[in-house]
Amino acid sequence: MTLDETQRATFSVLADVLVPATDQMPAASEVDISGSGLDRVLRARPDLEAPLVRVLADGASSDPTARIRNMQQEDPAGFEALALAATGGYYTEGRVRDLIGYPGQTYDASRVEIPDIDSSDPMLQRVIARGSFYRPTPSNSGEEKRANVS
Amino acid sequence: MVDADDRSGRGESVDVVIVGAGASGSVAALRLARAGFSVVCLEQGGWTDPSAFPGSKLEFELLAPKTWHPNPNVRGRPSDYPCETSDSDVNPLMWSGVGGSTILWAAHWVRMLPSDFRVRTLDGVADDWPFSYEELLPYYQECEKEWAVSGLGGDPAYPDGAHMPLPPLPIGKAGRRAGEGLDELGWHWWPGSNAIASRQYGNLHPCGLRGTCLTGCPDRAKASTDLTHWPAAVEAGVRLVTGARVREITVNGKGLATGATYIDRDGHEHHQAAEVVIVCANGVGTPRLLQLSTSSRFPDGLGNSSGLVGKRLMMHPYAAVVGFYDEPLESWLGPAGQLIQSLHFYETDESRGFVRGAKWQVMPTGGPLGLRAGYGGAPLEDRFGQALHHNLQEQLGRGFEWGLIAEDLPEQSNYVTLDTELKDSDRIPAPKIVYRNSDNTRAMLGFHLARAQEAHEAAGARKTVETKLMRDCGWHLMGTCMMGNDPATSVVDQWGGAHDVPNLYVYDGSVFPTSAGANPTATLAAVALRCVKHLIETRHNQEVPA
Repeated sequence: MTLDETQRATFSVLADVLVPATDQMPAASEVDISGSGLDRVLRARPDLEAPLVRVLADGASSDPTARIRNMQQEDPAGFEALALAATGGYYTEGRVRDLIGYPGQTYDASRVEIPDIDSSDPMLQRVIARGSFYRPTPSNSGEEKRANVS
Repeated sequence: MVDADDRSGRGESVDVVIVGAGASGSVAALRLARAGFSVVCLEQGGWTDPSAFPGSKLEFELLAPKTWHPNPNVRGRPSDYPCETSDSDVNPLMWSGVGGSTILWAAHWVRMLPSDFRVRTLDGVADDWPFSYEELLPYYQECEKEWAVSGLGGDPAYPDGAHMPLPPLPIGKAGRRAGEGLDELGWHWWPGSNAIASRQYGNLHPCGLRGTCLTGCPDRAKASTDLTHWPAAVEAGVRLVTGARVREITVNGKGLATGATYIDRDGHEHHQAAEVVIVCANGVGTPRLLQLSTSSRFPDGLGNSSGLVGKRLMMHPYAAVVGFYDEPLESWLGPAGQLIQSLHFYETDESRGFVRGAKWQVMPTGGPLGLRAGYGGAPLEDRFGQALHHNLQEQLGRGFEWGLIAEDLPEQSNYVTLDTELKDSDRIPAPKIVYRNSDNTRAMLGFHLARAQEAHEAAGARKTVETKLMRDCGWHLMGTCMMGNDPATSVVDQWGGAHDVPNLYVYDGSVFPTSAGANPTATLAAVALRCVKHLIETRHNQEVPA
């Protein structure tokens, strides 16, 4: 990846504004967002590199929150790239996924082996009891209804 | 310049050339080859290896909104053609490749209802179809076996209960919670039918509820025709030419189609001669190709004496209400796919201020990045910082979407035409989409959104988020080569045959006279099957070029 150390350091500072620490959750910088996290993002989304280079060009700011607010107004595409890179790197990190209880999109064929509903379900029995409500095919389709809508 | 011979050395004329290897082209190719026809199918894209699909990858949610986006303008693959959409409320969505848009579809398998075929008769609007639900029913049933449809029979919304060949997929905690809401209200609902195998079935493996259907199924459980139809079609003798972008249907002096001219990925032009041409390039690609196929005999495009090629575009405006609940619903689990559906407000009730209706379905809400999409444009403090963690804790795995597929009526002011500036990578004019929602559609969406809010409230939602119209929702491309009995008011007859060109056929969603409020692939496949069976049965009467 072409982002240099200065750009990555700036990314880390800005990412921490978007993804700060809480009592339960680490900040973005605590999960190596500017190293392995950013590498992971850019491998998947090389199209984000150009807007990231653009928004990281000016280096770190003494007020990163104000910098991001300004970016959101003046370069919304750059802001969205920064936000996706920060959150994308963060939520694809194993420790973060464990903390939020998200296993990822996983395959398990045993999930479908036994249907979890059939027509004996009391709720479906009530649907069946309410009966059909479709409009059947008219016996004479030649007699057109004339409505106000055309 | 057209090469004298096909580079493969097999440029001889064939019985049938099919343009497009998507849903309808797949159905046609398989049947024709098995009936002994020589068939070439020209497909501008290529095969997609299921192992390439992003669903099994850690970076799934990063890859999905770009590389595997259903909007070709976003995706920008070499096999895609761009669409000019500045005058459209909705973006058309599609996939160019073997299997067509079934590669990325959600696999909702929904038959239309009897009233959908008699819209003019029953509601006084639009047009009746040239055949009835009952006439199409055996073709639905045959397709359901080919497409590995899983579902629960006995739904009172259908005359015959709509029994499917495979057991239903689980409705999950989210589907059950949604069903409880409608149960409270006394509204119809039923477990969703999906063209996703709940058991090992032919080439398909059983679904494992990965929930990434919309970016291709890495588990080979979803029925896409590259798996369900093409292996058998190729084995039966169909020659499938990938990377073949068709730029013109050619005709002779008698006004008969003579084949298709296409450009390969090396930029060489070829001509595939055929006695019959079947166009299956979807509701945008088909009218585009017919409009490109001009000649002195057909100056306004092929098959266009009615002026309706490209007109009456319908794309099913899609609105949604996502609800968030206190309890965990595991709402990243599939199928996606539909968990349950409701047809309670499907039929016309003119007291609502509009005609026709919408089908509802529950879909899962996905992982942490998918949830973020709902916050686009919100202030910084509502999206990020402490709010990011708070929102995620409240919403991840605790929501589901009531999606609303609204029937839009056919209007000539909604259409596909050739853009005067935008071109694809082969310098062929791109399609321009002109599409606006009508007053009837807006009233319908407003009514259904309000009812979906009520459905979430009845189910105990803590919070709801409404999308009034999703811009990237044009999955269902219909109506642009209307089927009908009168050559003055339709493009093709009830068998897909062009009124103007005796050996030209259209089998895809272009032929739909109306859109219904149902996902169209079940009907599209059944119509294609009905059409191709008729072509096979009447082969000896088929007029062909000398």
